[in-house]
Amino acid sequence: MNKKYLAVILVVFLLTSVIAGCGGGKAEPAEKVKVGMVTDAGTIDDKSFNQGTWEGVLKAEADLGVEVRYLKPVGTTEADYIREITNLVDAGFKFIVCPGYKFETAIFEAQTRYPDVKFVLIDGSPHAGDYNNVVGENTVAVFFAEHESGFLAGVATALQLKEGETGFVGGMEIPAVQKFNWGFQQGLAYANENHGTNVTINAENVIYQGSFDNVAAGQQLAAQMYDKGVDAIFAAAGGVGVGVINEAKARANTGENVWVVGVDVDQYPEGVYVEGKSAVLTSAMKYIDVVSYDMVAAYLDETFPGGETLTFNVANDGVGIPKDNPNLDDEVEAEVAKVYDLIKDGTIVVADTQGDLIK
Amino acid sequence: MLDLIIQIFPYAIAFTIPLLITSLGGLYSERSGVVNIGLEGLMLVGLFTAALVINKLEIIYPGKAIWIGLLAAMVAGALFALLHAFACITLNANQIISGIAINMTATALTVYLARGITGSGNIQIMLGLPRKNVPFLSEIPIIGKMFFTGTYATTWVVLLILLLSWFLLYKMVFGLRLRACGEHPHAADAAGINVYLVRYIAVMISGACAGLGGGIILVTYSGEFNGSVAGLGFLALAALIFGQWKPLGILAATFFFGFASTIANVSQVIPALSSIPGILLKTFPYIFTLIALVFSAKSSQAPKAAGEPYDKGKR
Repeated sequence: MNKKYLAVILVVFLLTSVIAGCGGGKAEPAEKVKVGMVTDAGTIDDKSFNQGTWEGVLKAEADLGVEVRYLKPVGTTEADYIREITNLVDAGFKFIVCPGYKFETAIFEAQTRYPDVKFVLIDGSPHAGDYNNVVGENTVAVFFAEHESGFLAGVATALQLKEGETGFVGGMEIPAVQKFNWGFQQGLAYANENHGTNVTINAENVIYQGSFDNVAAGQQLAAQMYDKGVDAIFAAAGGVGVGVINEAKARANTGENVWVVGVDVDQYPEGVYVEGKSAVLTSAMKYIDVVSYDMVAAYLDETFPGGETLTFNVANDGVGIPKDNPNLDDEVEAEVAKVYDLIKDGTIVVADTQGDLIK
Repeated sequence: MLDLIIQIFPYAIAFTIPLLITSLGGLYSERSGVVNIGLEGLMLVGLFTAALVINKLEIIYPGKAIWIGLLAAMVAGALFALLHAFACITLNANQIISGIAINMTATALTVYLARGITGSGNIQIMLGLPRKNVPFLSEIPIIGKMFFTGTYATTWVVLLILLLSWFLLYKMVFGLRLRACGEHPHAADAAGINVYLVRYIAVMISGACAGLGGGIILVTYSGEFNGSVAGLGFLALAALIFGQWKPLGILAATFFFGFASTIANVSQVIPALSSIPGILLKTFPYIFTLIALVFSAKSSQAPKAAGEPYDKGKR
């Protein structure tokens, strides 16, 4: 009897691994420069972090003729990440992009173990677990000024709503998410002070859900907030944000005037509930795709900035709101563009710390 | 406190319904003597099928597409459950292992297909079911707010299925036969009942119910297929045991889970609850279930033949 069970299990494992193995990139003849990516928690098409990075890599494939592949670790531990990095290295990949702060310790290991491989770590800086950052000569640590992106989204939201109440739903309470929140609050305050709007945010409506994948919780949290009279929710929460958008779509479709502010990429398409109408007001974007593309290009030009920690912000056009915002009035977009320039020339300084802001 | 309960009640019901219908599916299967821990995978198959069908049809048939999608989810769930039935009933395989295989295959297969068909591991639908107030009834004070405000049509469908299932299982010949197969299949066989056929039907009904559960998740709160139903299938299984394999029991058990999960989910935005650590609220239903199972284990009402392949020659 036992043998039969064993056979069933083995067959299932075999099937799963065969199927999982089919998900990766396609193999092409060698010679080409190989650019690899290891995904963070979530899928390659998470409409956020992984997808943004991968889109940049794909653009490099199309424009620069590199060979690309991504691997998805089975878990999110350091060992899982290192295994996939090693797999890429073994397959001859000399350039590996890893999105997410969770890679910090894995890259710390890998950068010394594979000195001839270039690493790009997005949203983090390598350390041994003690937060003493060591960026190896073969590594670039990339950060984004999420607070500036959140600030612009906050200004846009306040100017468009003019009067109302907003909320914030974050994923995990990590720096990238917190900075979005703090920036957003400062943006609201700025608009209230300088443009006579009256858009508030209540402390009880600022929360970190604690995960990036609990869609149900996102929907239920959003429902509670909208029931309490919140008009727009800034969702910086991955899959939790999907739930928020879903609730907003359902309400907008019945004529309620509720909005979501998206995050990371332009989430307008996710909010479409009938042809031409979306519940997503605007999005606080990080141009991750541009960065991953630029890094590949720099590597090919042999100008790879190894050992550096780069910060992408308004000053170097690394963050912002989408170019097209069908839900924003033209005047609002023009006003946000002015604010963008003010941040750029240093007139407005957005704090990336909590200060006396909420959470 | 009452305001608070009224406020979250409609959402708790919405969260309960997919659990309830899946748990009911498990009830059919186990009552006929086949343990079905593949509920999670069957839900996922339903979720995937519904997402795919609705995604393709919603532009052409807005409104109707959702119901077509839910129907497709039931059919897909039933067909997928056929694998489980074949392994467990015809081949006498171990039911737990077959269930695990169903779960693993469903996860891999749906994500693979989603990628192949849409080019993305996620399938989104534009719009789910609208929430509606029941006319007149929603105006009753308190009760109207709790039960008849902001309800999904699927909620009433599932409650109707539950009611019909109770009638079928306890008041009709087929139900008696089904339960007999789960308690003492040899006796049932001696009475001229085709145990294999009854079990096949029961397992397929269970697949259809779980598939519907997955579809309901899609059209109510999630709005997209993303390769997971977040353990709800296993929760439904726990509710089945907690509810002692009885329709009304699982109604109470799933509602308990649904209500507790909703409270845990929304506690952060409700000032009265936000002082309680979230981890306590989130783990409460599970800890409570463990304790309840400890005390109810002795008087467990589990179908006696559940988990045993039926072997005609065995005594």
